[in-house]
Amino acid sequence: MKMGSNRRLANVKTRREVGLDYVMQSIDLNTPFGKRQLKEIKPFYPGQEDELKAELDKVERMMDFVNENGRLIGQIQEIFMEVKDVAYSIQRSENQTLSVVEIYEIKSLLLAMRRLLLLTVKDGTPLIPAEYVLADTTDLLDVLDPRRDRINTFYIYDEFSEEIHRLRGKKREYEIAIRKEQKAAREEIKQRYGIMLTPKFDIIVSKNHADFEKIGSIEELELVDQDYLSATFRLKANEAVYGYMKEMDQLNEQLEEEEERIRREISKEIFKHVQVLCDNCQRMGALDVALGKALFAIAHHCSKPEVVAEHVIEIEEGRNLQVEEALKARGKSYCPVSISLSDGVTCITGANMGGKTISLKLSGQVAILTQYGFFVPAKKATVGLSNYMQILIGDSQSVERGLSSFGSEMEELKIMLDNSVERTLLLIDEIASGTNPVEGLALTKSLVDYLMEKPYISLITTHFETVTEKEGVINMQVRGLADADFTLLNREIQYAKRSERINIISKYMDYRLYRVEKQGQVPKDALNIAKMLGISSEIIEGAKKYIK
Amino acid sequence: MGLLYELQKKYKTISIVGMAKNAGKTTALNYLIEEAMDEGVRLGITSIGRDGETQDLVTGTEKPQIYLEQDTIVTVPTQLYEMADAGLEILKKTRYSTPMGELLICRVADSGYVQIAGPPAAMDTKKVCAEMMSYGCELILIDGAIDRKAIASPETSDAIILSTGAVLSRSMRRVVDETAHIVNLYSIPEMEEGNARTLIEENNYDDRIMLISEDGKVTKLDLATGLGSSRFIDDEIDEGTEYVYIPGAFTNSVIADINPKKLKRIKFILKNPTKIFLSAMDWGLWRKKGMKVNVLKNIEIAAITVNPWSPGGYSFDREALVGAMREALPELPVVDVRV
Repeated sequence: MKMGSNRRLANVKTRREVGLDYVMQSIDLNTPFGKRQLKEIKPFYPGQEDELKAELDKVERMMDFVNENGRLIGQIQEIFMEVKDVAYSIQRSENQTLSVVEIYEIKSLLLAMRRLLLLTVKDGTPLIPAEYVLADTTDLLDVLDPRRDRINTFYIYDEFSEEIHRLRGKKREYEIAIRKEQKAAREEIKQRYGIMLTPKFDIIVSKNHADFEKIGSIEELELVDQDYLSATFRLKANEAVYGYMKEMDQLNEQLEEEEERIRREISKEIFKHVQVLCDNCQRMGALDVALGKALFAIAHHCSKPEVVAEHVIEIEEGRNLQVEEALKARGKSYCPVSISLSDGVTCITGANMGGKTISLKLSGQVAILTQYGFFVPAKKATVGLSNYMQILIGDSQSVERGLSSFGSEMEELKIMLDNSVERTLLLIDEIASGTNPVEGLALTKSLVDYLMEKPYISLITTHFETVTEKEGVINMQVRGLADADFTLLNREIQYAKRSERINIISKYMDYRLYRVEKQGQVPKDALNIAKMLGISSEIIEGAKKYIK
Repeated sequence: MGLLYELQKKYKTISIVGMAKNAGKTTALNYLIEEAMDEGVRLGITSIGRDGETQDLVTGTEKPQIYLEQDTIVTVPTQLYEMADAGLEILKKTRYSTPMGELLICRVADSGYVQIAGPPAAMDTKKVCAEMMSYGCELILIDGAIDRKAIASPETSDAIILSTGAVLSRSMRRVVDETAHIVNLYSIPEMEEGNARTLIEENNYDDRIMLISEDGKVTKLDLATGLGSSRFIDDEIDEGTEYVYIPGAFTNSVIADINPKKLKRIKFILKNPTKIFLSAMDWGLWRKKGMKVNVLKNIEIAAITVNPWSPGGYSFDREALVGAMREALPELPVVDVRV
């Protein structure tokens, strides 16, 4: 087992299949910091039960807080939505001069921090849990906002230095003076030659125009551009204008230097605050994640799992969130499932279409969500922490890799067994169903024998009923169509469109699990379902003959 | 009082649309900016696609940057921000991205030259304009890129200023005729409110050719393109057909094979006048044959600017051109922007 920061509770496939990824993606986060923190979230391991309990208590308190402060939460999220990640600029401020756009973005962030602080602390009392309250950054904001008008705009304002104010004022004076001179010259040319220059003090003349020679010879104009057919003349600068322009050039250079100096000063000042800025970003992210987790738990009616020392997973009326969401979209409701697991082997058997795989994933979902510090989709759940979790389930990816389903299954089984340690949760979906039933059954039975001896919780879905006959194996069975009213069901199926038949069957299906204490009659729903889905009676009757 | 004063009383956003490259679009923009300065109108300037290049990319003629007075609101992408000669106060970083970085909305704090660029998609222009308005512009001028059809479209702005000039043709008569043709097309009557219009608006979600009958029957044609569709349209027109709605380009091939008798009876409805791709001559011919066309929304033309000079090396007598244009389009203000 890997320890330290590389330690892994579950591989990528397991996290995806049991729905941890789904929950992570569904949590609504508004800041780049929160998104990063959620991505880096670490699970709690056996031995960290107290820390996990503290984390779950925190989620619970946050849920209470959310329920009581809906309006405040809305306002906080509004601020969060405007926050952009400027970590790169903040780091760059150490030894480089930031651009105006970068400074603008940091100012926006500071303003957001200020608004958040004003919103969450009233008269010195924090309205949110103290750990999320931001440090005051007004002193840095004042540097970036010399006018103190707290508006989300930025420019190297005149207020930044006396020098820039002076230089700009002078530049404006020269501009006006130059324009005055030019306008006077334009007027003179109009008077003297009857030629009107454009507001930009130029004129384009076609070379075959009657006045071309005349315009060309006006000494106040200079030729600035020409092609074979036309020429552009512009007003020549006179002595006074030249003088002003020379001054302007110098001024512009000084202005650029002064602006650069101001930006450098601001950058240095930002770097002085790098720690408090990063801390505040971290806190905003933490609040964002905490709110996201609480809102998710409320929206999906999740409950706080009870964390216990012994290695068990007990779920009362659990719901697989992904499936529930899909059903809800189609206007249906999820039939909650209860299951109780402890070290040893538990098999789920029962009808096709009975939700065995969904219940398998649900067990993993409750366990993994608990260990990552989330509330779980169940009425009540008791969870003992695991060191390792893995699911073994067929997926389309193995086929894409060119392996047969059996081949990839065995490959994954090996990895799974090699990695398993004390307190492991193994979820195995219909192993060896892709090979011949004689060897498949033998392999499954032998695997169950092996797992029985291990300190693992092993949950296996299977169609091989005899697997459950072994002493000590707990058999959970899907109720399926056992109690269904077949006359009613058949009548409904008869008149239904082909596409609706599957929906009708699922309506009559009882997905709940019950524990089989004594080996008795196994429900054989496969043939029933095949018949209902329109397989000819010739084949169905033929099959029945073979069962006998 | 100048042209601009009149315009800003009537419109909030105006696109400047050139009849062709080098028709004097940028000159017209500069002219209006100059007027705005004189009259103290607070302008907003944006464009569709990048503009204000120093060199016109298509023909290689020189294209000046745009000089903006203090307090003008302007859109500039991040990468052009540092290059601007004017002092620009950043008011907002928008979520629209351009090939030159995200778009900033800025206020000119210190007058100078700026290279303008706006959101690349015409549909975003409207939203950007609304944001600029919130910063206190009284009138927004939108400088269009080459694609006249897209920016003239009524979804982009309240009205357009059409820039035309000698570049269109060596014959002044043709310049005036072609301009008048475009003005006529753009001011085609809008379809009157009523049952048929409601039917078209309600059923026009999948951009299909539709036939509307007097009794309110809607027939949709399942064609991939309207081009060459006249045969099928002809098949579907029956005694009761009143309107034929063409969502896409309105070309010769949409009308060619329609029985002349049927053509006289029906009325074509188009989305807006930019969908018409018929020359002045063809348009006249079809009209003579009894073709009737309405649009759902037409284009308001605020003014015509003329440029008597062509980069091709010839120019017209300015007074004659302005005079001829005014005679052809008596109801519109015509301005020579190079005076």
